Amino acid sequence: MGTENPNRPNYPLRPAASPFAAQQSTTPFLPSGPVPGSEASAFRPAPPASSQFPTPPFPTGPLVGSEPPAFRPPPSSRSNDLVRPPPSYGSPTSGFQRFPTPPLTSTGQVPPPRTSLAGQAVVPPPTRPSPGPVSLLSQPQPPSVPMGTPPQSIKTGQSNPNVPLPADQHFSTSRPNTQPSSPPMGPSYATPRGTFQPAFPGYTNTQPNSVAQAPPTHPASFPLQHGGYAPPSTTPFLAQQRGYVPGPPTSTPSGLYSGNQVQQHGMAPPIATSQTLAEDFSSLSLGSVPGSFDAGLDAAALPRPLDGDVEPKSFAEMYPMNCSSRFLRLTTSGVPNSQSLASRWHLPLGAVVCPLAEAPAGEEVPVINFATTGIIRCRRCRTYVNPYVTFTDNGRKWRCNICSLLNDVPSEYFAHVDATGRRVDLDQRPELTKGSVEFLYMARPPMPPLYFFLIDVSITAVQSGMLEVMAQTIKSCLDSLPGSTRTQIGFITYDSTIHFYNMKSSLTQPQMMVVSDLDDIFVPLPDDLLVNLSESRSVVEAFLDSLPSMFQENTNVESAFGPALKAAFMVMSQLGGKLLIFQNTLPSLGVGRLRLRGDDIRVYGTDKEHMLRVPEDPFYKQMAADFTKYQIAVNVYAFSDKYTDIASLGTLAKYTGGQVYYYPSFQSSIHKDKLRHELARDLTRETAWEAVMRIRCGKGVRFTSYHGNFMLRSTDLLALPAVDCDKAYAAQLSLEETLLTTQTVYFQVALLYTSSSGERRIRVHTAAAPVVADLGEMYRLADTGAIISLFSRLAIEKTLSSKLEDARNAVQLRIVKALREYRNLYAVQHRLSGRMIYPESLKFLPLYGLALCKSTPLRGGYADAQPDERCAAGYTMMALPVKSLLKLLYPDLVRVDDYLVKISSQAEELDNIRKRLPLTAQSLDTRGLYILDDGFRFVIWFGRSISPDITRNLLGEEFITDYSKVSLSQRDNEMSRKLMKLLDRFRESDPSYFQLCHLVRQGEQPREGFFLLTNLVEDQIGGANGYADWMMLLFRQIQQNA
Amino acid sequence: MGDVFAWLLFFFILIALLVMIVFQLMCLADLEFDYINPYDSASRINNVVLPEFITQGVLCFLFLVTGHWVMSLLCVPYLYYNVRLYLRRQHLIDVTEIFNLLNWEKKQRLFKLGYIILLLFMCLFWMIFNALEEDEHSF
Repeated sequence: MGTENPNRPNYPLRPAASPFAAQQSTTPFLPSGPVPGSEASAFRPAPPASSQFPTPPFPTGPLVGSEPPAFRPPPSSRSNDLVRPPPSYGSPTSGFQRFPTPPLTSTGQVPPPRTSLAGQAVVPPPTRPSPGPVSLLSQPQPPSVPMGTPPQSIKTGQSNPNVPLPADQHFSTSRPNTQPSSPPMGPSYATPRGTFQPAFPGYTNTQPNSVAQAPPTHPASFPLQHGGYAPPSTTPFLAQQRGYVPGPPTSTPSGLYSGNQVQQHGMAPPIATSQTLAEDFSSLSLGSVPGSFDAGLDAAALPRPLDGDVEPKSFAEMYPMNCSSRFLRLTTSGVPNSQSLASRWHLPLGAVVCPLAEAPAGEEVPVINFATTGIIRCRRCRTYVNPYVTFTDNGRKWRCNICSLLNDVPSEYFAHVDATGRRVDLDQRPELTKGSVEFLYMARPPMPPLYFFLIDVSITAVQSGMLEVMAQTIKSCLDSLPGSTRTQIGFITYDSTIHFYNMKSSLTQPQMMVVSDLDDIFVPLPDDLLVNLSESRSVVEAFLDSLPSMFQENTNVESAFGPALKAAFMVMSQLGGKLLIFQNTLPSLGVGRLRLRGDDIRVYGTDKEHMLRVPEDPFYKQMAADFTKYQIAVNVYAFSDKYTDIASLGTLAKYTGGQVYYYPSFQSSIHKDKLRHELARDLTRETAWEAVMRIRCGKGVRFTSYHGNFMLRSTDLLALPAVDCDKAYAAQLSLEETLLTTQTVYFQVALLYTSSSGERRIRVHTAAAPVVADLGEMYRLADTGAIISLFSRLAIEKTLSSKLEDARNAVQLRIVKALREYRNLYAVQHRLSGRMIYPESLKFLPLYGLALCKSTPLRGGYADAQPDERCAAGYTMMALPVKSLLKLLYPDLVRVDDYLVKISSQAEELDNIRKRLPLTAQSLDTRGLYILDDGFRFVIWFGRSISPDITRNLLGEEFITDYSKVSLSQRDNEMSRKLMKLLDRFRESDPSYFQLCHLVRQGEQPREGFFLLTNLVEDQIGGANGYADWMMLLFRQIQQNA
Repeated sequence: MGDVFAWLLFFFILIALLVMIVFQLMCLADLEFDYINPYDSASRINNVVLPEFITQGVLCFLFLVTGHWVMSLLCVPYLYYNVRLYLRRQHLIDVTEIFNLLNWEKKQRLFKLGYIILLLFMCLFWMIFNALEEDEHSF
């Protein structure tokens, strides 16, 4: 509140840029910082903060609840915080506000009674222009709310438990007090700090613990905060806990703004009053804001994720031994301590797991061989040994962090424990220091990597050129298939009959056998259809060379897909492996034949609509279940230009941990690069075979539902016939006990798999999360990316049982409920009518929610996306890791013409180019050249009045022709080379898919609409809201019965 | 005398129904506690689903032809529900989604179980009532 300062830098600015950087550095926003729990606790009439929050700010080890951590956050951790950019500083003009809570804390604490109330607030600081007065007024208000803590606590210095005093009263009294004290600090605050520190060793100067710093002015207050210090002061201290708040003491300069004030007045830090209480939240003013247009909302001020996916850092800092957020992301790092609290968190509570995410060089997951001792696991809950287990009894026993059972340490694993409880051999035991490790596990002979290809050779496959590209790609990948000499391979082709190929190594040419009895499939020569690649290499190559020509003359239009699938199953069921299906037409013969559906416009909007998105024939589900049972993963490549019923075919991939690749209207001249890259990646990326995954978690919480491409083998065991780095799985948590008594909840993801090299391994990711008792805290620790990932999976699943509109409404409703709940936490106290408030951590949630509603699986109705496209996108999104998903929802839009025209091409310029633009038509300049990159394709947009030079250089002389026929290739000029280099750079950053370039000229309909305009999620498209309207809509709904 | 035998027949049919439903519930419970894998569980349950539906239909029909139309009416909602499931092809357990539907399947079968037990008691009552009445008549 009162933070509106027009002068402030625009909101996306990094701290450094802001003039006040120095002051800010004191952690303006920290609430989310290392001491996250503490703030909240202050308000709550709860047990001593220290106990409540396990907050382990200490990087070195897991905190024990008993420590009073909050008081003295280790300097190191602090410093981190400081570094953190306070992105949220909004440009005041725009109506965006950030509430810098931390610094202000001082009011409550500063005891000296003073009469001067929020006087400062009233005085509009000269610096701030217009909005000044308003904001000032608002300041005083906030304080009243949060203060739940009674004064009593003062003495003890501990948290004042349960007595929720009428905050207002305290405040009023306290407020006066605070101010007097402050005056000294104002201008010269730097000095006090410095002097002070010596006295209190624990505090670093940079640290803004409000308490700590406050001392200079009034020593008396000090003691309170530290439990240890005698609480001599009789003055009523309100917020002792405040001490935790990472606000700079003197530095009231929480925001730039506060800094200003202090200096200007030279007096008491005005800030203090309001801020004490203020939580950090952001707000968006939707009421009358000077300079805003009718909507009451300045579109430019809306938050946008232009930095892509920003992973929450605070969590990792709190628990440095947690596995990386690449592998596991929780929707909120604060686990609610009671069911009632969980029910007030209307967003999904759960995790997104990407067990095999690619780690950058140098951070590979260490592999540990426990051959001598056997893998150390808890006897009862089977948890693997991890950094959070504790060794007791001089190292002879260890306590499981998940179920608290005391286990014996096997004698071979024994090591002494030093005085601090650490094992002396800690540095040689990665499993005790790292959140992610791999154990070798030799229970049974592992399966070899096995690739089986089921290829449609009907007329469309031949004509589109798919067959040729595919055969070439497979051939070129033979050398890099994982598994070296153990790899097995086999092929079946089919049209109206099924063709088997005998590739025994003794043959020189493959032998083809045709089975035409589709009702009673049998497998001829079952032993020679699957061969060892290295032994039969020449036969396989001969086959791939001859495959395109073999069917050159084929005019068969039928597809006996079902019977061929059964045949493949019979061949593979001995070993398991990966089945790649190349399907070009709708299956038309034998079991599993499908009919044309989805072109019936009348179905849309009725209760039967969802039937189009579920498999038509139970055969597919049954086959999928059988495949999983025998460890076969299915990847579906679909190419047809007509309806192929991806809904049914995709089921095979969905339940076998596979993936759907969809190339509508495949033409080898256009799409060959894409198919080549994606097929090659599918074949050569590191793959985990015959895997099962389980997520264990501490007592009292349980994972209840799982979302993604897999099949459940028991209530909590995911069967994944093949996993790779591009797959992520989501799970939802629920609380089993009404009240959690523990301080911390641990999660352990264990993936048991066979590596391509033939080792059986267990990959274990361990993470800890604090239990919190406060809703505000949960919001503060929320992770938008994980939430959106879960949201999208839930929404897509909902489209399988109800209308698209219902799914979209469900997303909207949950966002509204969550924000309303959040508003109820703060709005009353702060009198925020006319403003939309939301936690800083969730500032992008509404936008991503909007983008989700406009994404291919959920958007519009009948005409807005082909049923096949919808289903394919749905299956893809169900498996996407968080980062790729966010990029798909909110693609990068960058302008490149300046870069291309300029002569120099230094590396730093390449980085500049990555400056993303808001996804709205207003960002597009008709003279510009833009690239839209959603991770799956590039759309290159040529403005109407772009310089002809650029077009000519990039496209050659034929630049006038239809852009859909033009393919971008490198030409002999600097500009073209630069563009291609740029595209390659973009592609390298996200290798999971190949981004094919689509060229679009402004005004070229319908292609422009199809490729670009539907992706401008902030604009109004069809019947869907634009971003500003969406925010207004949400705001109105939040207001209702708020 | 015939009536008593008719009731006895109904009684045994109801017992058979009861057994089939309890069997399905056991399979589901086993699945939940991980004593059995979903494939076996689903195929076992699916094996008895149709027999259960048919038996119930037969029972309803027998009530009708023997003139016990009140009992027959009582059976109709159950029959209607089964037919509806069958027509929507939702009567069989879907092995791929079995865990997501577990609670629903269990609840559905528990209701059926309660329903059958209710019918069973009524059937017992009528059987005994009839037997006693016949007893009186025979004097």
